[in-house]
Amino acid sequence: MLLSKPVVPQNSKIKMDIRYTPDQEQFRAEVRAWLHANAPRERLPSLDTAEGFALHRQWEKKLHAGNWGTVNWPVEYGGRGCDLIQWLIFEEEYYRADAPLRVSQNGIFLLAPTIMEYGSAEQKQRYLPPMASGDEIWAQAWSEPQAGSDLAAIKSKAVRDGDSYVISGHKIWSSRAVFADWSFGLFRTEQDSQRHKGLSKILVPLDSPGLEIRPIAQLDGDPGFAELFFDEVRVPVANLLGPEHGGWGVAMATAGFERGLLLRSPARFQAAAQRLVALFKAYQDQLSSGVRELVLQAWRDTERFNAATYALVARVQSGVSVSSEASANKIFWSEMDKHMHRTAMSIMGAQAELEDGLDAIENGRWLDGYMFSLAGTIYAGTNEIQRNILAERVLGLPR
Amino acid sequence: MRFQFSPDQQDLIQASHEMLLAETPITRLRALSQGAASTDISEQLAEMGLPSLLLPETQGGLAQDFVVMTAIAESAGYVNLPEDLVEQAGLVLPQLVELQQETVLQEALAGKAKVGLIADARPYLEARAYDYFIAGDQLIPSAEISCVPVKTIDPLRALVKPAVAAITPAALAEKGAILAAAQLLGLARRMVDLAVDYAKEREQFGQKIGQFQAVKHLLASVYTQIEFTRPLVCLAAVTGGAHVHNAKISAIDTAMLAGETAIQIFGGMGYTFEVDLHLFMKRAWALCGAWGDRSFHTQKLETLIFDGTMEIGPGVSFRQGEG
Repeated sequence: MLLSKPVVPQNSKIKMDIRYTPDQEQFRAEVRAWLHANAPRERLPSLDTAEGFALHRQWEKKLHAGNWGTVNWPVEYGGRGCDLIQWLIFEEEYYRADAPLRVSQNGIFLLAPTIMEYGSAEQKQRYLPPMASGDEIWAQAWSEPQAGSDLAAIKSKAVRDGDSYVISGHKIWSSRAVFADWSFGLFRTEQDSQRHKGLSKILVPLDSPGLEIRPIAQLDGDPGFAELFFDEVRVPVANLLGPEHGGWGVAMATAGFERGLLLRSPARFQAAAQRLVALFKAYQDQLSSGVRELVLQAWRDTERFNAATYALVARVQSGVSVSSEASANKIFWSEMDKHMHRTAMSIMGAQAELEDGLDAIENGRWLDGYMFSLAGTIYAGTNEIQRNILAERVLGLPR
Repeated sequence: MRFQFSPDQQDLIQASHEMLLAETPITRLRALSQGAASTDISEQLAEMGLPSLLLPETQGGLAQDFVVMTAIAESAGYVNLPEDLVEQAGLVLPQLVELQQETVLQEALAGKAKVGLIADARPYLEARAYDYFIAGDQLIPSAEISCVPVKTIDPLRALVKPAVAAITPAALAEKGAILAAAQLLGLARRMVDLAVDYAKEREQFGQKIGQFQAVKHLLASVYTQIEFTRPLVCLAAVTGGAHVHNAKISAIDTAMLAGETAIQIFGGMGYTFEVDLHLFMKRAWALCGAWGDRSFHTQKLETLIFDGTMEIGPGVSFRQGEG
């Protein structure tokens, strides 16, 4: 895995040092200059709409053209080979510039590291370049109606037939599958297998015959996720990623990345806290003193998250891999995000419900953010599941 | 950019932790709380070089960065160390260097003189046989300042209130707050561990109570708060400034949550003098209020964030206090 390679020589004389190196400062300046010249001035429409998705895809192409789309990928796969500190710096500048959300995130942050670790040379060649360029956008196909938190209860099956798998079943909560090009799914390849055994990770084009995609309107009314109905969908065996029947381990590698570092960097929340402070200042004459402390807590938590992330990065760089402790990460940022947006909602009072137009504050951006924050404690493994993991695997409480 | 202790420092921290744990088993605390004669481990602490951790090599010290003291303080909190190592090593002895009191410093290191710190940020100090007091930028013979006993709920500490109030130099008050926060983290983690041990043993409804998700989730929540406070305490020790206020507030909230959660898991037994939990909880209450309480640090931070010109947002966290 990318993240577990020790990159800092273990020289016992190196002390704690929180200064960025001249190279890192130079990198920051480059990112800042490029984003200043290229990032859209106006917020794009939601990436959960057809129009917004297309515009976000265009932005991905622009990022890619400047070679800023996949900075943390190794150079051999078309990235910049940035280490994790550079990645954090990139994210800091990205959110400082208020650049658009990453419509390619499931591919470039979750699937790509898995392809790099488990994929064949052909698979890397086939999938990584169009993923990086935004030509192929990926959706996740893991959950099923009866396999949510209990992901190992997956029933959808992929039956081997010569050089193909024939896939039947029902997937759900597949983000942006209505607009995306490909999906990475988890299917039962060993028939009559139980639980974590006998599953495989298979890559499926979303325009495959026999695959029906039904949009689900999410809380804001946009078709942000979808159900996938597989009726004898045929894909080549070459689309298997990693070992056949060994998909659980492959999937957990993705889940580790998702919960861990790449999906939610501190900068995203620090930028939101900065906006929250500005929102508070604009309305503070009308607000009770309690709100002031809620705003302060939002800022405080983003700084705690940032310090913890830099500490985690240092540990990873000295060779420690991200494990169960990533669950604490997911709990912290998702609950922080919800608290921060709830505070904004309370500041806006009667205007909080306005989506856009007359009297709407920031075109309903806080409302959008609040709704999305409600999903944060659910997706990528509910916080209840994360707390179970911490209690059992870190604190050692009995199952 | 390397936000991590060096392997040498990690070794020192680990060895200190193990020594403190071995020398201060709960039986020692229990005996002291029941009025047993002192079981002083000052010698063991000195052997490890801990009192002179921050002192320059010319003074026989280990010349460690202040941030290393946060890890030692966390361990001291974890074992609820009865000795005043954290304040002596972290504040008093370095302050003697600052005040150029070399003779008294050497006496203090040799165990021949005891120096107490009078600081308005920490109004009550432990009742010990002091020979001198540091008050502001003065070193004063102890006979010149009278101290009145005050009664604490903590059975492990006896406290006095000095008759004079000395304004704490800002840099010292900041360090005091950081070390209090670090000790609170250690205390919080110990309270979690005590509750975990109990939840693994105690049975109700035919199973260990630690098997219930209601119990698991409470403890996981405290664990999360601890893990997201420690790095900030470290960062505060390096940068000073706004992070110090944040660190102290976060450590207060974390330790109070830890105490309340632990007592809930111990149930009725947690509400007794018999179970050791209260020894850790009471020390935590003391440290929450000392070196700036929640309101103090909140008001400081509010001024910085809402009324000041401090830059906030992505990319500036590690720059604060640089110049």
